[in-house]
Amino acid sequence: MVEILNVSNLSTAFQSDYGSKQALKNISFKINEGEVLALVGESGSGKTVTSLSIMGLLPNNAYIQEGNINLIDKKNNQVNILKLTDEKHNLIRGNDISMVFQEPMTCLNPTMTIGDQIVEVILNHKKISKTKAFKEMIELLGLVEIPDPTQRAREYPHQLSGGMRQRVMISIALACTPKLIIADEPTSALDVTIQAQLLQLLMKLKNSIVSKTSILFITHDLGIVRELADRVIVMYQGEIVEEGKVKDVFDNPKHSYTRNLIQSLPEFKLEERKLTKKDDNKQTKVDDNEIILKIENLFKEFPVEKGFFKESNETVKAVQNISLNVKKNEVLGLVGESGSGKSTLGKSIIKLLQPSRGKIYFNNENISEYSNKQMIKIRQKMQMIFQDPFASLNPRKNILDTLIEPILVHDLMKKNEAINYIKEIINDVGLPIESLRRFPHEFSGGQRQRIGIARALVLKPEFIVADEPVSALDVSIQAQVLNLLEKLKKTYNLTMIFISHDLSVIEFFCDKVAVMYLGHVVEIAPVSKLFNSPKHSYTRALLSAVPKVKGKDKEKILIKGDIPSPINPPSGCVFRTRCPNPGIDCKGGNIEMGLIEVEPGHWVDQCCANCN
Amino acid sequence: MNFFIKKLLIVIPTLYIAWTVVFVTLNIIPGDPVNLMLGGRPASDEVRENVRKNLGLDKPVFERYTSFLINATKGDLGKSYLTRQPVTTMIKENMMPTIELSIGGLIFGVFFGVFFGIFAGTKPNSMRDTFSMIIALCGISLPSFWIGMMLIYIFGTTLGWVPIVGEGFVSLILPSITVGLFFAGGMARLTRSSLVDVLNQDYIRTARSKGISKYRIVLRHSLRNAMIPPVTLLGIQFGLLITGAVITEEVFARPGLGQLLLQAILAKDIPLVQALVVYMTAVYIFLNLIVDFTYGIIDPRIRLERNRG
Repeated sequence: MVEILNVSNLSTAFQSDYGSKQALKNISFKINEGEVLALVGESGSGKTVTSLSIMGLLPNNAYIQEGNINLIDKKNNQVNILKLTDEKHNLIRGNDISMVFQEPMTCLNPTMTIGDQIVEVILNHKKISKTKAFKEMIELLGLVEIPDPTQRAREYPHQLSGGMRQRVMISIALACTPKLIIADEPTSALDVTIQAQLLQLLMKLKNSIVSKTSILFITHDLGIVRELADRVIVMYQGEIVEEGKVKDVFDNPKHSYTRNLIQSLPEFKLEERKLTKKDDNKQTKVDDNEIILKIENLFKEFPVEKGFFKESNETVKAVQNISLNVKKNEVLGLVGESGSGKSTLGKSIIKLLQPSRGKIYFNNENISEYSNKQMIKIRQKMQMIFQDPFASLNPRKNILDTLIEPILVHDLMKKNEAINYIKEIINDVGLPIESLRRFPHEFSGGQRQRIGIARALVLKPEFIVADEPVSALDVSIQAQVLNLLEKLKKTYNLTMIFISHDLSVIEFFCDKVAVMYLGHVVEIAPVSKLFNSPKHSYTRALLSAVPKVKGKDKEKILIKGDIPSPINPPSGCVFRTRCPNPGIDCKGGNIEMGLIEVEPGHWVDQCCANCN
Repeated sequence: MNFFIKKLLIVIPTLYIAWTVVFVTLNIIPGDPVNLMLGGRPASDEVRENVRKNLGLDKPVFERYTSFLINATKGDLGKSYLTRQPVTTMIKENMMPTIELSIGGLIFGVFFGVFFGIFAGTKPNSMRDTFSMIIALCGISLPSFWIGMMLIYIFGTTLGWVPIVGEGFVSLILPSITVGLFFAGGMARLTRSSLVDVLNQDYIRTARSKGISKYRIVLRHSLRNAMIPPVTLLGIQFGLLITGAVITEEVFARPGLGQLLLQAILAKDIPLVQALVVYMTAVYIFLNLIVDFTYGIIDPRIRLERNRG
């Protein structure tokens, strides 16, 4: 095996007003030709700093203390990257080593066409004419499977979807057939279905045209590591704690951190939970008779802004004809890609958004037409936990003020009583009492989410909508917060709607799941039924798209393309344009949407129910 | 195009409101234009009455207001109380010097503003950043009469490089620098902060990962993205200039709209003030339109929104 990159004793630190902070502590590793090396770890573990050190793109306040990074370049010379001037390094960047970044939305220049951005890197490193570079660019766009490349090349990044932009990034990285591609969380910001498409594309390219190129794949997702990588390096607080063949590390993790990391995955938690299922049943009992929330034919449409004088008649059809009910103490999961309308549905239910049509019964009371004033009383009973705990807390209020406000607004208790009560709650969510005097920026992400949960609990609600409460958190923190929610659900007797795009979290936490696609619910079933025998093709594709750490690799069901525009959704079954196995009828869009019960409690959209 | 037609339609209500405000204020503030016209000389009631009639001031306020509006729609903005000339002629005579000065100031301001903005913004918190920003601060805060006089003293009197008074291009240099310095200061500061912001964007990191030289990164990838705030400022400042830089005109003894407006207000020359307000409002709206149009050239995302609209 030929070694192409050798990192030895690399230490990097950040300089700040408070002194310097070590980000990488003496790390050494090497990458062989043509191999896929995964770098895993949580945020702050030093993965990205490693990649930026190799690229020479560290921010100004970071500096390399010691170490060597030796690269065998295209001319077979060994160069120590760290000794290069910026001008010399520019000959290597984009040519010998290229990079794919995490944020597809922001990493392309908004004022240049994507064609220009690809041509730029080609002309920068190859001595060829503009027309030839243009030809190469079109070829590259074809390679990354962007439809209609000549047309797309003239478009600007904002005209492309996230998945398409990431394909453009990949084509930029491929343009000069580099020795090494560093992919820093390239799919983390994308939906699972798009992620599956991209990973498959990456592997296809890896196995065909750039077979000699090595990939350094940085990710926090162990499932992806398992599917893609040959070797894996686990990082923790700036150090390499474990290194080895993927299979060895996963089957037989040596370091306790690796073991914890693997065990805190929801798929593993699920197994534990299955083992203890018996006590579980005792504690959470879904009351079959008492329906706490009932939604009938709910619609939410947003008018498309058109301008100053004209009202547009186009609407974004965010929620379409949804009927659901949630029983007491039940947790209903809402799952779907971004843009499927999950959050809009959640907000419409507690009337943070006024639904366009349809009825919402809360404890048999029709609240759909209630004014904001009338809602004030109901809001005590219905609360929401938001996705971004930082953005949803007022930065200028300390935690006590944030938590006490709703109690005083609703005039539930006197101030002294309220303070004592809040101390209890803050204790329940696992935070020290001293935190009450502190401000949101003084907490970590996980702690902030605990505050968000406490804020939702202070009014003693019966019903909570949790909108992606753990998706901004690291895996191990995610597990802690989920366990907390699980505990609180019992102590506070909660009924919940739990919105998430992460299927394993849903499987871990929910009793019943509704799968949403383009504003419609396409399947509802108890959690075990849905995960073991999904009926809708979309559910199947979604389930198969998730990279799993355990279990055998199954043939993936890939769905093509992006989610269509909710302004002009396809007629009939909205999923038919991406369906992997559409029937003759649904292709023409002749079948109306509507759920039918295939088994007791298992409802599927009739289009797919008939196909299969 | 739709977008720009809408913008143009806003001109009508804006002008109407501006006229009304001017008319009301000039009628409320004390002082009789007849007195001012007579230059403080004593005159019999008969003479005063004649002057008043001549100017049309004997009619009730409301009637004067409506007749002014009606005439204005016909393109007749009235005659100056003071000179009895049509106000449009007076404005035309004074417009060219002002436009020359504004464009001179604009060129000077944009050139030095953008230059110092890039110079500072590409290396924030360095010596050259501090140096550039001190210069920019001077440009904004030093009063223009002082700058004007210093320039005259140094380059005109002492060194004798440029004539202080006179016609033509050369005489425009010092006044242009005087108004341009203020311009340049604002431009430099805004260009700098906007550039610092852009240079921290993800797409700049992407560009660097392609191995592109730093000059190309600044010129090709950053500058265009950083130009929206400076262009907005440009519109506002150019609008201020083209409505007359009173002090600079005074210092360099140049004719111009600023001077004209000042005299008109002091003389309570209502038609002239109103006409000037019409002109200035129109210029402002027109400049705003140009600025809006420029946004579209700079940022394709704004272009797309408009096409949809």
